[in-house]
Amino acid sequence: MTAGIPSIAAQPKIFTENYLVMTREGIRGNDAMQGLLKSVPDREIVALAVYFSKLTARKPDGAVDKTLFARGKQVAAQNRCATCHERDFRGREQMPRLAGQREDFLAEAMLAYRQYRRPGGDTLMAAALYGISEPDLKALAHYLSRVK
Amino acid sequence: MIKFAFATATLAFSVSFALAQDKPAPPPMWQQGRPASLADSKLAPNPGKMTETQASEVPLDKLKLPKGFKVEVWAAGLVGGRAMAFSDSGKKIYVGTRGIGRVYEVTDAGDKRTVRVVVDKLNQPSGVAFQGGSLYVMAIDKVLRYDGIEDKPSGAPVDMTKAFDLPPEQHHNWKYLAFGPDKKLYVPFGGPCNICEPPTKEYAQLRRYNPDGTGKEVIATGIRNTQGFDWHPKTGEIWFTDHGRDWLGDNGPEDELNRISKPGLFFGFPYCHAKGIPDPDVAKGKKDACKDVTLPVTTMGPHAAVMGIKFYTGDMFPKEYQGVAFIARKGSWNRTKKFGYDVVTVKATADGKNPKITPFMTGFMDPKANSFWGRPAYISQLKDGSLLVSDEQLGVIYRISYGAPKK
Repeated sequence: MTAGIPSIAAQPKIFTENYLVMTREGIRGNDAMQGLLKSVPDREIVALAVYFSKLTARKPDGAVDKTLFARGKQVAAQNRCATCHERDFRGREQMPRLAGQREDFLAEAMLAYRQYRRPGGDTLMAAALYGISEPDLKALAHYLSRVK
Repeated sequence: MIKFAFATATLAFSVSFALAQDKPAPPPMWQQGRPASLADSKLAPNPGKMTETQASEVPLDKLKLPKGFKVEVWAAGLVGGRAMAFSDSGKKIYVGTRGIGRVYEVTDAGDKRTVRVVVDKLNQPSGVAFQGGSLYVMAIDKVLRYDGIEDKPSGAPVDMTKAFDLPPEQHHNWKYLAFGPDKKLYVPFGGPCNICEPPTKEYAQLRRYNPDGTGKEVIATGIRNTQGFDWHPKTGEIWFTDHGRDWLGDNGPEDELNRISKPGLFFGFPYCHAKGIPDPDVAKGKKDACKDVTLPVTTMGPHAAVMGIKFYTGDMFPKEYQGVAFIARKGSWNRTKKFGYDVVTVKATADGKNPKITPFMTGFMDPKANSFWGRPAYISQLKDGSLLVSDEQLGVIYRISYGAPKK
């Protein structure tokens, strides 16, 4: 796995479908991925989404920074992340798995949502992260990447 | 210059100070107004489907209609397809979407339909309308006009965005569009939240414009989120659907069907809902929250998501359907037991008295499993008097006809 590239193993099927379609349509603004997906028809996107949803989730990162982890847990609770992403953060339907996701990816994705620079990003996620400080987003990313 | 620099420094200071205070963030738009008693609720908006559904995959046999009516899949492959606008010739239908960012053109070739994408990558281009040979497309932040599109399918659009003066907030500001009998373009601007005092006066209202964006007028206010309206065939008055607020429990406040009997009416948002329910958050301690509020013709059910409305004026359906309003209810998310997911008729007098709601097209939902497979969104009438119903979930258009096939 490469830095900044998300893990897609065990992501909910609908989430992966939506993500691949929006990327292919050029709404997400990821040129490299758009090129790869350009001629992939919907039925293959569905098949990919099913396949990825059945893979085993990535193992959480090892070393835990206890202070950061505790703060992240607190931020997750305050912002009711589990309402949509489930208590164990495995995600459901259109809402992605966060547990075990790469820390660097989570931190950057959440910051991009909050700063309205995630094209095609759900307006609800921008609103959900509104007002959370950058250190707190980092703590949240640390916690989610290691939560079991 | 010095003064300016000082002001900037102060602002920067107060921002970082606010963050240091670690104030809890406001909940997301769709959770605003959520009481502590529902803090553990797992209700969330239903996921849309962003991939194509083939006509053969649609479980048509599950749909139920009154005796003598027949339903078929008329067009497929319109992922996220919502409101439909006929071209002048009636041979093309333009269909708007939200998340997938496309506008489709459906060409009716008699025994089959072909579909192409007119434009994509837009920010929720749900508003489509047609007049004088031009297609009008409205996204949350953009207005495009395609002149002579029936003859020039690949002509570049005219960007009309500036003329329409769209406000910055995005939530509930995706559009339903229609030209009125007065040839003006009617455009809603929703309340940018579940429940709130809108930040400025530009929201929670219905406006009309000249087709070129001049002559802006506010027709009605206090409208939370209307996604459908039509003009009554006898009175020429606008009847519009409106979504009720979320997070006040399973039973309400109900969605509404309203009637604009004259310009300038106030329909209650954010203070007063449905048939006179003061809002427990915004109207707290406020006396007469429902004073001077025009109440609905009828409520349309809790969290039903009332969408398109079409008064029937064709000659195919039995006489009792003449002038009756067909209304699509896309179905609930903010309710533990699913509600809606159907097309109903509303029969009322021309001045909105004695409303009677009757289910017309059902079967999209399985009440026992509390699940759904389709979400009817808009209704249009073909020249032969049959009705088209768009299904936003499956991206297909159904055709409903009555009696024996004409061919």
